[in-house]
Amino acid sequence: MSLDQSRDVPLAQRLERLGPDDYKTAILRLAETIDAPSAVHLESCVRCGLCAEACHYYLDDRDLKSIPAYKLNLIIRVFRRYLGSGGRLASGWLKTRDLDDREVREWIDVLFGRCTLCGRCALSCTMGINVPALVRKARGLLAAMGLVPDGLASTVAAAKETGNNMAIPREEWLETVSWLEEELQAEIGDPTARLPIDQQGATMLYVVNPREPKFYPLTLTAAAKVFHTAGESWTLPSTYFDVTNYAYFSGDDEVAGLIASRLKSEMERLATKTLVLSECGHGFSSNRWEAPDWLSQKTGYEVKSVLQVVADYVRTGRIKLDPERNPKTVTLHDPCQLVRLGGIVEEQRLILKRAVRDFVEMTPNREKNYCCGGGGGQLSMTAFTARRRSAGRVKARQIERTKAGVVASPCHNCLDQLAELNKQYRLGVKVKSVIELAAEALVLNKK
Amino acid sequence: MTLLNWAVVLSGLYALAALTYLIFKARSFGPRSAYSTPQGSPSRGIIYALGRGMMPWEKESARLHIFTYMGGLLYHIGIFAGFAILLAKTLSVEIPPLLHEALRLCLALGLVSGLGLLFKRLLRPQVRRLSLPDDFGANIFVDIFLAAALATSSRPEVTPFFLAYSIFLLFYIPAGKIRHCFFFFYSRTLFGLFFGRRGVLPARPVER
Repeated sequence: MSLDQSRDVPLAQRLERLGPDDYKTAILRLAETIDAPSAVHLESCVRCGLCAEACHYYLDDRDLKSIPAYKLNLIIRVFRRYLGSGGRLASGWLKTRDLDDREVREWIDVLFGRCTLCGRCALSCTMGINVPALVRKARGLLAAMGLVPDGLASTVAAAKETGNNMAIPREEWLETVSWLEEELQAEIGDPTARLPIDQQGATMLYVVNPREPKFYPLTLTAAAKVFHTAGESWTLPSTYFDVTNYAYFSGDDEVAGLIASRLKSEMERLATKTLVLSECGHGFSSNRWEAPDWLSQKTGYEVKSVLQVVADYVRTGRIKLDPERNPKTVTLHDPCQLVRLGGIVEEQRLILKRAVRDFVEMTPNREKNYCCGGGGGQLSMTAFTARRRSAGRVKARQIERTKAGVVASPCHNCLDQLAELNKQYRLGVKVKSVIELAAEALVLNKK
Repeated sequence: MTLLNWAVVLSGLYALAALTYLIFKARSFGPRSAYSTPQGSPSRGIIYALGRGMMPWEKESARLHIFTYMGGLLYHIGIFAGFAILLAKTLSVEIPPLLHEALRLCLALGLVSGLGLLFKRLLRPQVRRLSLPDDFGANIFVDIFLAAALATSSRPEVTPFFLAYSIFLLFYIPAGKIRHCFFFFYSRTLFGLFFGRRGVLPARPVER
């Protein structure tokens, strides 16, 4: 059963329809996708359990199933049964398991429902096991069986079929951009300010989260304002503008590759030099780090986060920021995919230190920061909403302790989760993107 | 060398060969592609992963479980001491008295730590439920090895038992969890490679 076929059938029904062929497909898929690093890591877990407190789910519910080693061992016991050493001979001693109905139900609940692929456990692991990479591979196996939870499956399908995860029609996208251009010109009093579309040969191709044109257009204007002030040569694409790639979360490499290839084709069509990604954690991780592997080729162009671009403007003086325009205390949430798994750590700090009067760090921060709870496709999987919000308590407490009035985050997924946590835990903060704060502090060039 | 000594040598060679086979078997799944351009230094990442990255001030889990962390360290030092004694007994090499006493101290501390870790695994419900029979077995087998090594270091009449038991342990090592003695270095290297390549670890200096 492919993802497309399964999209309109609820997950519960898809589970009921599973037959022996589906399990065979899954095992074949497992054998295909396991590579040497995965096999080494699957042989390495010693079940010391020291990873427990690294996981925000475990810190919230203290449930055995939330311990990363438990999640990992769901995969290990099946891997050893079919592909590992001694799994058949010593199945009782090593507690190996057949992949069956009971097992896949637990995989869905635990590997989709109790993990955001944040990777914090990897840093805590005695053996250095890359747990999120293995959970993602296991999710891919479930995807091959058509068992991706409903909301995530439909988000991936929308992106696959329409070119963006919110199925925004091309006309609506172009109208929004045109309207935002007028708004920007009015705001800064400069009729030359533009949100260029399909500008051939521009230096940068800027791609955004569909959430921006759909619900938060001012974040798009904010970026445009910064680019305009810096005198940047940039463009938006008319067709494939979506920075996100939810197949990264469903584990479906084939669809992930298809989605990633569209941005590559836009880069080639417009002959642009650098692909610049809007504030999106997994959008960065998938386009910067994973896409070349999905496509089995080097990209041939630079892939950068907008944070890198704006931090460079600040360093080189192409833009000037006035921190007095953001007088409230601001703290920063580090998106896992951008920071811990992406390597963009200091750029957002440099921007904020110049753009706000009072910047305070959360504890812990940077690569050790806690996940907000919204990653890994959790925001789209409504079956796990209560668990997601509850696990977000860890982040909420972190925010509270900073006593900040504003929480900034360079990720639209995180911003959604933070906004929900703000309501649920009555944090009384404003939630903003880093580029929004930079745009608010921007000293405009006088003409 | 007696027949028993030769049997220890052969089982040691078997353990090394089997562990090497397991590593090659894992490698046979094929390399992971890496088409993206590195942002950091893979080699610095590996050095970090095998050194500073395991220290309590870098690793939260070690900090939060400092007694388990220290116990684990002492346990593994004890195991190395046990193998040093085994090597000396097998090859009938005399250990200098000072080194002999140091090894005995390591064995004693290792044994206490091993038993401590075993009780932790038994008494902490979540760790117990997380564990496989192999986890308990491996710990008990190694604890017996340490106790036998300690005994044989002061009472030569225990040596035949120590050697015979070591043959069993050497055969068990590749079969279960103790194989992590080889996989540990490979796994940590991969960790360093991944985070080093992405420029995450070691952390970059803070920009002012």
